[in-house]
Amino acid sequence: MNILEVLHVVGTLLVWIAVAMLPPTIMAVFEGLHLHWLGAVAATGTVGSVIWFLTPRRLSINPREGLAVVGLGWLAVVLFGSLPFLFTGVAPPIKALFESVSGFTTTGATIFPFVEDLPPSILLWRSITHWIGGMGIIVLGVAILPMVGVGGAQLFRAEVPGVSGDRLTPRIASTARLLWVVYALLTAAVGVAYVVLGMPVFDAINHAMSVLATGGFSTRSESMGAFSPVIQSVTIAAMILAGTNFTLTYRLLGGKWNAWFSDAEWRWFAGILGVASVSLFLYLGPANNEWSFDWFRAAVFSVTAVVTTTGFVTADFAAWPAFCQVVLLGLMFIGAMGGSTGGGFKVVRAVVVAKHTLSEIRKILHPRAVMVTKIGRRPVRPDVLLNILAFLALYVATHGIGTIILAALGYDLVTATSAALAAMSSIGPGLGEVGPGSNYADLGSAAHLTLSALMLLGRLEFYTLLVLFIPGTWSRWGGNR
Amino acid sequence: MRVIVVGAGEVGYHVADRVSQEQHDVVVIDLDADRLEYVQSHLDVAVIKGNGASPAVLRQAKIGETELLIAVSSVDEVNLVSCMGARGFPGLLKIARVSNPDFYKDESRLHPELFGVDVMVNPERELALETFRLLQSTAATDIAVFAGGSVQLVGLVIQEDAPIAGRKLADIGSEVGRSSMLTAAVKRDGKTVVPRGSMELRGGDHIYVVVRPDGVPKALELCGYKPVRLKHVMIAGGSLEAFYFAELLQQHSVECTLIVKEKRRAQELAEMLDQALILNGDATDVELLELEGVGGVDAFVALTDNDESNILAAQVAKDIGAKQVVTLVNQIEYVPLARRIGLDAAVSPRLSAANAILQYVRRGNVTRVATLKDTDAEAISFQVTANAPVVGKSIADVDFPEGSIVAAIVRDTEVIIPRGEDVFAAGDAAIVFALPEAVKKVSELFPE
Repeated sequence: MNILEVLHVVGTLLVWIAVAMLPPTIMAVFEGLHLHWLGAVAATGTVGSVIWFLTPRRLSINPREGLAVVGLGWLAVVLFGSLPFLFTGVAPPIKALFESVSGFTTTGATIFPFVEDLPPSILLWRSITHWIGGMGIIVLGVAILPMVGVGGAQLFRAEVPGVSGDRLTPRIASTARLLWVVYALLTAAVGVAYVVLGMPVFDAINHAMSVLATGGFSTRSESMGAFSPVIQSVTIAAMILAGTNFTLTYRLLGGKWNAWFSDAEWRWFAGILGVASVSLFLYLGPANNEWSFDWFRAAVFSVTAVVTTTGFVTADFAAWPAFCQVVLLGLMFIGAMGGSTGGGFKVVRAVVVAKHTLSEIRKILHPRAVMVTKIGRRPVRPDVLLNILAFLALYVATHGIGTIILAALGYDLVTATSAALAAMSSIGPGLGEVGPGSNYADLGSAAHLTLSALMLLGRLEFYTLLVLFIPGTWSRWGGNR
Repeated sequence: MRVIVVGAGEVGYHVADRVSQEQHDVVVIDLDADRLEYVQSHLDVAVIKGNGASPAVLRQAKIGETELLIAVSSVDEVNLVSCMGARGFPGLLKIARVSNPDFYKDESRLHPELFGVDVMVNPERELALETFRLLQSTAATDIAVFAGGSVQLVGLVIQEDAPIAGRKLADIGSEVGRSSMLTAAVKRDGKTVVPRGSMELRGGDHIYVVVRPDGVPKALELCGYKPVRLKHVMIAGGSLEAFYFAELLQQHSVECTLIVKEKRRAQELAEMLDQALILNGDATDVELLELEGVGGVDAFVALTDNDESNILAAQVAKDIGAKQVVTLVNQIEYVPLARRIGLDAAVSPRLSAANAILQYVRRGNVTRVATLKDTDAEAISFQVTANAPVVGKSIADVDFPEGSIVAAIVRDTEVIIPRGEDVFAAGDAAIVFALPEAVKKVSELFPE
C-alpha cells in the first residue's frame, strides 16, 4: 500500500469539492456571506492542492489502494464539506459534520429545525452535497479525471452500491461519464417539471437535486408537504426513477422500452412498492374512517420515500398505527435497487437471501438436492452468495451496535432502533423522536457522531470503510489479517 | 443417390448403415482411422479420413455429384462449417446435427440459413420428444409420427379385459367411425402380420394403429388402458437427452426430479433448469429413490449413458411402484428385452436420430418414414405419379400384396386415414405400412 499515492487522489477530490462550493459562494455575495464562503473554498482548495503537489502521481491503483482511496476520500470530503456550515456560523462543529455527512450520504436527516431561516447559499450547498454524493464522489472522479485507468473499476465497485458492476461500455471511465450524464439529464428534467407545475425556481433546483440523489433535504420545514398534490405525485415518479438501477434507465433511454420490466430485481422492487402501498392504504382507510385519494397518495408517497431511501415526507407516519410503522421499518431495511442512488440492504440482496433461505428449507425435504439461487434466470455465484450473507450479518450487527449505543445515550427503543436504521439506510426520518414531524436538532453530540458513523458505513456498504481500520491495510505486505 | 455422411460416431454409423441398405452410395468422412476401418469392415460404404469441415476433403468426396450431405459428427460447429463449405452446390440438401441447447435459446438462436443448413436435426431432443409422446400415450410401446405430426402410428398391447379383445377388426372399424383409426399390424407370438377385417383380436396381441393425435386416448381406451395424467416425473441421468426431456416437462408444467451422478453436471443443470429439482446421487441407489418417493411418480425415465444402469434403475423404480418406466438403451438388441423384463418402453438414441434424418433420404419417389423397434415392418411414403397403375382406383380395387396396408394418404395439406373405398389421385403421398417381404411388390404399384 502506497499511502502517498492514495493521498494524491484524495487531494484531487478535495480540489473538486472546492470547485463545487463555488456556486453557493456566488450566491453568498447577495447575502453578505461571501467572505465566510471564500474561507471554506480556500481551506478546502489549499489543503487539496498542497497534498496534490506533494504526493507522487501514478496511473494505476491496486484493489487495496482502491478501497483506501474511497474510504479516505469520503472521510476527507465530509470533513471539508462541513466547513461552509461552520464558517457561516449556522451550526457548531459536530452538528456541521452531521449535516455534511447526512448530505453526502444522501440521508437527508437535518439538524436545522427551521430550514426557512437558513441563507439560500447554505440550502443550495445541502442540495449539492446530496447530488454529488448520490452518484458518488469517486464515480465522478473516475468520470472526469484521467488519473485512473486500470484501477478505475476497483474504485467504481468500492463506491457503487449493489451486487453487480454492469459496465455500459468497455472502458470504466466512459461508463462513469455516461452514468453522470444520464443522472444530470434526469435531474434537469425533474427540475423543469417542477417549475412547470408551479414550484418556485430555487425550490425546484434544490428538490430536483435532492430527489434524484434519493436525499431528502428540503428547502421547506414541511418537506414535500408544502407543495401541491400534483408535485407530490411527480415526486413519487421521480423517487422511483432514482431508486432504480441507473444502468437500466440508461438502456431505457437508449430505446430498449422494456429495460425496467425485463429486469428481475426491478420487478421485485416494483412489487414491494405496490404491495406495501396497498396494504398501508387498506389499513389507513378504516383507521381514519375515511377512504380518500389523499390517504392513498400519502400511503404511496411514504412507502416510496422509504423504499427508495429518499426520506421526503408529506405525512407524519410516526403518528400512524403501529402496523404501518412496522411495515415502514421493514422497508427501511430493504431499501432501493443496487446500482441506484438509494441506500439500504438493497432489493437484490434481500431477494437472494430470501430465495436461498427457502432453498435451505427445501433441502430438509430433499437432502441430496442441488440448488442454485437465481435472480431472474441468472444464477448467483456461490462466492457472491456468501458475500451477501456476510453483508447481512454486518448489517444486522452494525444496526444492533448502533441501537445499543443510542439506547445507552438514553433514547427510547423506537427512536434508537429507527434512527440507527434510518441512518444506515440513508433515509433520514425515522420513528419516535426522530419521526417526520421532528428532526435531529435536539440530539446530543454523542448521538450525532454515532449516527454520522452509521450513515457513512451504510453508504459505503461497510467493507470500504472498515478496511481502513484493519491494520494490515497499511502495512507494505498486507499483514496476515 | 450419392450421400456424404460426416462423422462416423454412433449416429453417423447408424445413418450410414440405413442409407446404404437402401441402395444409396455413401461416403463416410471421419478423422479417426480406426473407426473408419471398423465402418468399412461392417458397412458397404466408402470412407475418407479427414476433417469433414474442410472444403478440400468434401471435394475429395465428390461433393459436386452429391445430392445429400449429412453432417452428424459429435461437434456441432464442425457440422455447421461442413454445411457452410458445401454452399453453392444446387440440388444438394444439407442436414446438420446441432445438439447444443445454447443454439436453440431465444437470445442466442442460430440461423441455419446463414450456414447454408437446410435442415437442423437434434437427436437428443428428438429422443426427448419421443419419450414425452410415449408417456403421454401412457401404454404405447412406441410411436412414430408422420405427415408433419398430423398422424401417428402407435404400438399397443391389448389388455385381457379390453373392449376390443375377442372382436373382429371389421366390427371395431364400423363402431369407431370412419377415418379415425386403422389397425396396421398385429404382432402375435413373435410374428407380425398385416391383418384383414376378418381377424379377431385377443388380449396380449401387440397392435400398431394409425390415429390422429387427438384419437390416441380413444385407442388407449379400446385396448383396455385408463388415461394417466402426468404430474410428477423422475428422471435418472444428467445427459443432454435428460436436459431436453426435463425442459419439455417444464414447458408442459409437469413437475420433475432429476437424479444426476456427477456433482458438477448437477450444478450446471440446476443453473439451466428453473423448476426442476436436481438431486446429486446415483439412480440405482434404492434408498435415495425411496426417500425421494419414486413410488409415487407417474413416470420414471432412465436417461443415463449407461444401458445397464438405466435398465437396473428402471427396474428398481418399477419395483418400488413407479406407474410407468421408460429407459434409454444404446444397444438396439436390448430394446425388445426391455419389455420382456417388465419395463413399459425403451427408447434408442440411434433410432431417434435415424428417424429424424432418414425422412429426408429419398430414393426416387420413395421416402422411408419410420421403422418400429419391436418389429421389422416399416412405414414407407410413396409419391403417387400420374402413370401409376393405382391412380383412379379405390384401395379395395388395387391388389395390395399380403403383408402391406395403406396407413394414410396425404393430399395437399389434408391427411386421410383411409378405408377400402378411398381413391388414389396423382400427386398424393401414400404412406404404406409393409413387412419386408411385401416392400418390393408394393413398390411396383407406385412406379417413378
